[in-house]
Amino acid sequence: MPNPLKEINPVLNLLGSEIKILPAIGGAVEELQHADEEEVEDKIINKKDIIETFAETPEPKPNNLYRKTPPLSRKEKHMFRFFIDGSLKTYFLGTGIEGTRSFPIELAQIGSAVIRREDDGTLKVHERRLKIILLLPKKNQGVSDTVWEELRKIEKPNFFEVVDFTLPDPLADTKSDPRDKAGAKARSSMHKLEIELIKSTDPYRNENSWLILDGSIKFVEEDIWNTWKNNPNVVGIAKSFRKDLIFQIDRRLKKRIDITTLLAGLPYGHRTVAFGAFEGQVAFWYVRIREQKEVDYPLMGVIKVEYPCLDRNPIPSELADLISSALIAERNVTPYGLDRRWHCSLYPIYVAEQVIKNSFFSKEVLMGCIKFPKPKIGGEL
Amino acid sequence: MNESENIQGIGKTSATDRDPITSDKFMFWLAQGVIVNPFDIVEVEQVSHEGKSKTYGLVTILEHRTDSPTHLANFISSNFGELSEEPNTPRQGTTIAHANVLSNDKDIYMPVQSERIVKFADEEGIHKALGIDTMEPEDRIPAGLIKMSNGVSAVAYIDKRYILGPESAHVNISGISGLATKTSYAMFLIQSILQKTPPEKKNKIAVILLNVKHGDLLMIDKRRDKEFTKEEMEMWEKLEIEPKPFDSDIVHYYLPRSQNGKRPNSFIQPDFYEIYAYDLESCADKLDLLFAQIPDAYFTLESIISEIKEGIKSNEPDFKNVNNWDDLLYGKPLFDPQTKKPVNEWRGIRGSSIGVFRRHMRRMVITNQSGIFVNSRANREKSLSEEFLNIKGGHVYVVDIARLYEHEQMLVFW
Repeated sequence: MPNPLKEINPVLNLLGSEIKILPAIGGAVEELQHADEEEVEDKIINKKDIIETFAETPEPKPNNLYRKTPPLSRKEKHMFRFFIDGSLKTYFLGTGIEGTRSFPIELAQIGSAVIRREDDGTLKVHERRLKIILLLPKKNQGVSDTVWEELRKIEKPNFFEVVDFTLPDPLADTKSDPRDKAGAKARSSMHKLEIELIKSTDPYRNENSWLILDGSIKFVEEDIWNTWKNNPNVVGIAKSFRKDLIFQIDRRLKKRIDITTLLAGLPYGHRTVAFGAFEGQVAFWYVRIREQKEVDYPLMGVIKVEYPCLDRNPIPSELADLISSALIAERNVTPYGLDRRWHCSLYPIYVAEQVIKNSFFSKEVLMGCIKFPKPKIGGEL
Repeated sequence: MNESENIQGIGKTSATDRDPITSDKFMFWLAQGVIVNPFDIVEVEQVSHEGKSKTYGLVTILEHRTDSPTHLANFISSNFGELSEEPNTPRQGTTIAHANVLSNDKDIYMPVQSERIVKFADEEGIHKALGIDTMEPEDRIPAGLIKMSNGVSAVAYIDKRYILGPESAHVNISGISGLATKTSYAMFLIQSILQKTPPEKKNKIAVILLNVKHGDLLMIDKRRDKEFTKEEMEMWEKLEIEPKPFDSDIVHYYLPRSQNGKRPNSFIQPDFYEIYAYDLESCADKLDLLFAQIPDAYFTLESIISEIKEGIKSNEPDFKNVNNWDDLLYGKPLFDPQTKKPVNEWRGIRGSSIGVFRRHMRRMVITNQSGIFVNSRANREKSLSEEFLNIKGGHVYVVDIARLYEHEQMLVFW
């Protein structure tokens, strides 16, 4: 089998010839993802620590924060037909040295996939995009202008991109370590792919055909919202979310409740009332999809639902109920034993993730394809 | 017609880290809606020096796999064991077929590559897979009809040279006991051989059948009561064999003698038959077979049998008066009729060993026998050994041993 990544060799050769490289031992080392990356992202996107407004109509009463939402199966109403997820793997290839600057060289495989669910429940890949990105810092933190310009001039295949991870980015800016920064940049690039794929479902989405997005609806990388009109029929579902939020449920009495208390009291088959974020642009609420007795910890089995309120109007309670009921019916089957967050996973989202991950090149292939010249030991510095 | 119908594929080969494709087996997943069964023959494109070749495989096992790592995960996914739970999204799964490589039409036995389209073999492909294409047409004996899950059928042939004549081997028929399927198949194969052998060569083939159970093979000259269905007739026509009984003029039944000697000791009696019996003369050279089931760690019994066989065969003085079973048991040289005691020693063999021999012999041919052992045969009681010295080509000989004791059945092998 020929080298599947030979088209990126000119870029690697240029780097190998123009800058000194100390390759990672073994060719490439996979950067492990933080387990709570989604939660971290939630903190970055949703900066406010105190939620002060409800975002549903009629306005909920502070003494009744839960609404009953019994499961609504696909056979009764097939609401969610599209499911999107993104995934990435980043590898530390080595350290580049140019002049007195040393910097990490990272490679990432990023991908996104939309899964379509047919009437009989079977899943099909609606669309899938994959990319390989080489992450380098530029200018005073990394590669010189000259080398960067030469890199830019090299003709690259569609699936490959060289990215400057020092460019301003809401995710990357929160990191200080260059390797973490590169990882965050890769995550931003993955979100861009997801945005492209969300757009690919635009013609098919309607009130009977919704899209579930894995993660926050409020993308930080691109204001996709401008392209949406009326109800985009999209909800964002987060398995991990901030656990330090405070909800001010009664302004007059200054009554507050923390998220742990709120969710610990949330019964199975119920949702919390919807709260507002981003000045009313997003309505979000929590749904318990599993009985507490089925899980180890009261906050398990709960998902966060985000709904875009384009005109900043609160979401009608009936619609939030309908979405929640349909989501509770999505709880089975579960990826128990395959994903530690099985209790709040939606299976089609898990399948979308598998579609992407199974399309990635294995570490063995990557290591075989990416070779830098061995560094000289001793001698001149 | 969609693309998948156009390429007529049923799946794609799949090699994994743990489950690799090898030179003698490959696996493939099945496309949606495809039905494949064990014993289907499939083909996959393979490389060759001339460009492409085809590798044929026999489906052995099919297994359904899902992404569930444990049964517990399935239990949990069914809402912790709720039988009525119907998930919104069925779990991802596929059926994996395992196939053993039968052959390659260009003799390439490298492992089949992964991700290759797998198709059902057509009739020509089935013949190539089984090596039938290399058989000369005159050597082909129809051995059955291979029917595949997609409806394609092909006649399977056996090479005549391997089942008839001096270089032949044997046919091994496996199956579940008690359903008469193996016996039926054997009968079909014999019919096929006889019908497909040209008349000038038929006189070189004689058939000997042992009826071991009930009366199944004691009516092979009779047409069956039930008419063949249209589907059954179509199969016979495809095989180019006529479904018919064996002609009564070529069939010979040999039934064992009963205790009273009047009626044969058989479950049913055919319209015509011969009775056979064992006398000492015809069995002397086979005495060792009679003792085949009896433990003889120090070969004592074997040495006595050898002496007796050789003595009778060579007409030694010791055996001058030994003409029947009683003579052997109650006369010299093993027994002294005057003292009415076994001899103390004979040809270096101790009397106690001779006593053991006599005890077993008496049990097998006198006290515990079905009537087949006689001191002297009547005119109509035949000796199988003599009968089978005169078998004729093109004839079928059926020997009924169904009601014989096990030790009696041993002596049928002449």
